[in-house]
Amino acid sequence: MSTLATNAPHVARTASFALRTTQRLSRALLLDRSFRFWVDELAPVASRAELRARVLSVVDVTHDVKTFVLAPRVWPGHLPGQWVPVEVEVGGIRLRRCYSISSPPNDPHVELTVKRIPGGRVSNWMHTHLHAGDFVRLGAPSGDFVLPETKPTKLLLLSGGSGATPLIAILRDLAHRRALEDVTYLHAARSRRDVLFASELARLSSLHPGLRVVLHLDDASPRLDATQLWVLVPDLAHRETFLCGPTGMMDAVAPAFLGFEGRLHHERFVAAKPAAAASGAGARIHLGRSKRTITTTGRGTLLDELEQAGERLEYGCRMGICNTCRCAKRSGVVENVLTGAISNEPDDDIRLCVSVARSDLTLAL
Amino acid sequence: MNRTLPPHEIDAFGRELDALRQEVLDQRGQRDVDHIRSVVRTMRYAEAAGRLLLHVGIDPATFALGTGALGLAKILENMEIGHNVMHGQYDWTHDPELDGESYDWDMACAAHQWREYHNFEHHTFTNILGRDRDVGYGFLRVTSEQPWNPAHIIQPFVVVGLAFLFQWGIGAHALRLDETIAGRQSVAELWTRARPFLAKGARQLFKDYVFFPGLALVNAPRVALGNFIANGIRNVWAFAVIFCGHFPEGVRMYHEQETRDEPRGAWYLRQIHGSANIEGGRLFHVLSGHLSHQIEHHLFPDLPACRYPELAPRVRAICERYGQSYNTGRFRAQLTSVARQILENALPSRARPARMH
Repeated sequence: MSTLATNAPHVARTASFALRTTQRLSRALLLDRSFRFWVDELAPVASRAELRARVLSVVDVTHDVKTFVLAPRVWPGHLPGQWVPVEVEVGGIRLRRCYSISSPPNDPHVELTVKRIPGGRVSNWMHTHLHAGDFVRLGAPSGDFVLPETKPTKLLLLSGGSGATPLIAILRDLAHRRALEDVTYLHAARSRRDVLFASELARLSSLHPGLRVVLHLDDASPRLDATQLWVLVPDLAHRETFLCGPTGMMDAVAPAFLGFEGRLHHERFVAAKPAAAASGAGARIHLGRSKRTITTTGRGTLLDELEQAGERLEYGCRMGICNTCRCAKRSGVVENVLTGAISNEPDDDIRLCVSVARSDLTLAL
Repeated sequence: MNRTLPPHEIDAFGRELDALRQEVLDQRGQRDVDHIRSVVRTMRYAEAAGRLLLHVGIDPATFALGTGALGLAKILENMEIGHNVMHGQYDWTHDPELDGESYDWDMACAAHQWREYHNFEHHTFTNILGRDRDVGYGFLRVTSEQPWNPAHIIQPFVVVGLAFLFQWGIGAHALRLDETIAGRQSVAELWTRARPFLAKGARQLFKDYVFFPGLALVNAPRVALGNFIANGIRNVWAFAVIFCGHFPEGVRMYHEQETRDEPRGAWYLRQIHGSANIEGGRLFHVLSGHLSHQIEHHLFPDLPACRYPELAPRVRAICERYGQSYNTGRFRAQLTSVARQILENALPSRARPARMH
């Protein structure tokens, strides 16, 4: 055994001890903020406090879709089909969205293919303001919309619109692994000019005889539904299907899988729907940390409701001033009873004492 | 003199201020973030320049410059950045560096204790005798409505001491030492409150008088002295701004029974009559952490402070329309007024009716 090998764990332990001690000391002396400031000032992508990625290039995919090619400082790795939280600053406010990763794991860079949603704050900002050389913040890649470890013999990758992004990652990965055997890739788009990755699909299908690419254009044929799907993919019942697309399209094709639902894997990004009751009664509040769910009575603010349900919360003024009852809302819609302001952003901070539920909520409590 | 408002006018008054608040909430955005970040940047560069000059210089000129730059950095950090960030004024940005709950400032007061007694007690029960412990901090007599006792005779000297040690005063305020002396708080409870304060204070002392001097090697005494003076500059400045915001003549005190079940409009009125502004230029306002707009700060403690100067004339106009006083004056005038209050109230009040405004 070499000396180096014997010493390695010892050296690593000493180094990590020294690092931890420095970190604790800098926090105790309030120097950590200063360090982070100078990193941000001099080399923002080098930040250790959060994962940042430099934008290498921005590529036009269609008239309203762009691909952002990112170089993160480090990358934990992802599986094809997973998404990553992306944080950008729009008008001084940090906003977070999850985007499917369109590049396969073997790609040296991380690609996000983003459609410009009318009225969408993040996608519009990215299309207009995010350029090569800028940086974005990333979270950890996540999601279980992934192929099983052994590839199913017969596969259908079914997408509508920008739902193609996780599926193109799966397809690219299969092509890289030379595993494109008996794969049908069916993509529904509004029109020819909305088809994502058209030239790449053509190239892959000419290279790989095992790949069948089917395009369904809404302006040329009836909308894609269960019946249409059976026509386009007659051996549907024998295929493991991975489906991602707009809610309407996914609902329309779902009946096709009656009797073999187990073969359908899907990815949904759903927006919170406001609760019907104006008083906020009957909304379910899910407490993420304590894993509790309570149902609101509509008789008071979230603080009142949670206290009635037996939660013991920190509060101060109970009138929206002191900020003691501030809490992060992970999802859902609340209304500020003082101002009437609606909060529907994920990860918004709300004050429980002046908020009522306008939908089912998840709170970081 | 303030006109007594009937309930419907109090409500209308409150609605007008609510509308102002909403207007700022609707506009809040890039401008506010740019402002606070530019203050943070100025503070960090001043801090770095101050440390560099103190640590490597050997002559009196670099000592004076370095100490001044460090004092400036501490003032900006405590006043415009720390105080306002810890009020949650920038929580909506979701920037962890501007997050009010996790911010800790460069001074002896433990951040979470300040958030409790200041954000909650002082801002909710502003100037209610017996509820707002900021009225004289439990040992000063700043209004004739507080009972006099013989210890108040030396308060002019106590106040001067407090000015130089202000950060320790702010930190120790969380202890409620006066309540333990009066027998209303147990020694065990006092100890619970004292521990975070002592821990934070010890860390600050270590940083200013061991860690940074140690880094300077032979220059250690010079760095320690520079830190001491910089802390002192910040202490005196913060003391002056804060005393001018609450203790000049004309600031009204309240009794608990008159504030019971007060509507929002009356709460706003109390904030206005319980605070005083200082007039000055833009730099003065930033250095004061915009506490020169104490009235606007008390009305809207969670709006970005850089909005107060543009709100002030509009708040004042609303006050005029409703016949309400709006206490403002030049820095020197407000300081003189505070000094007079401290001196006058050191002696027992002559038989005269309590000041009502």
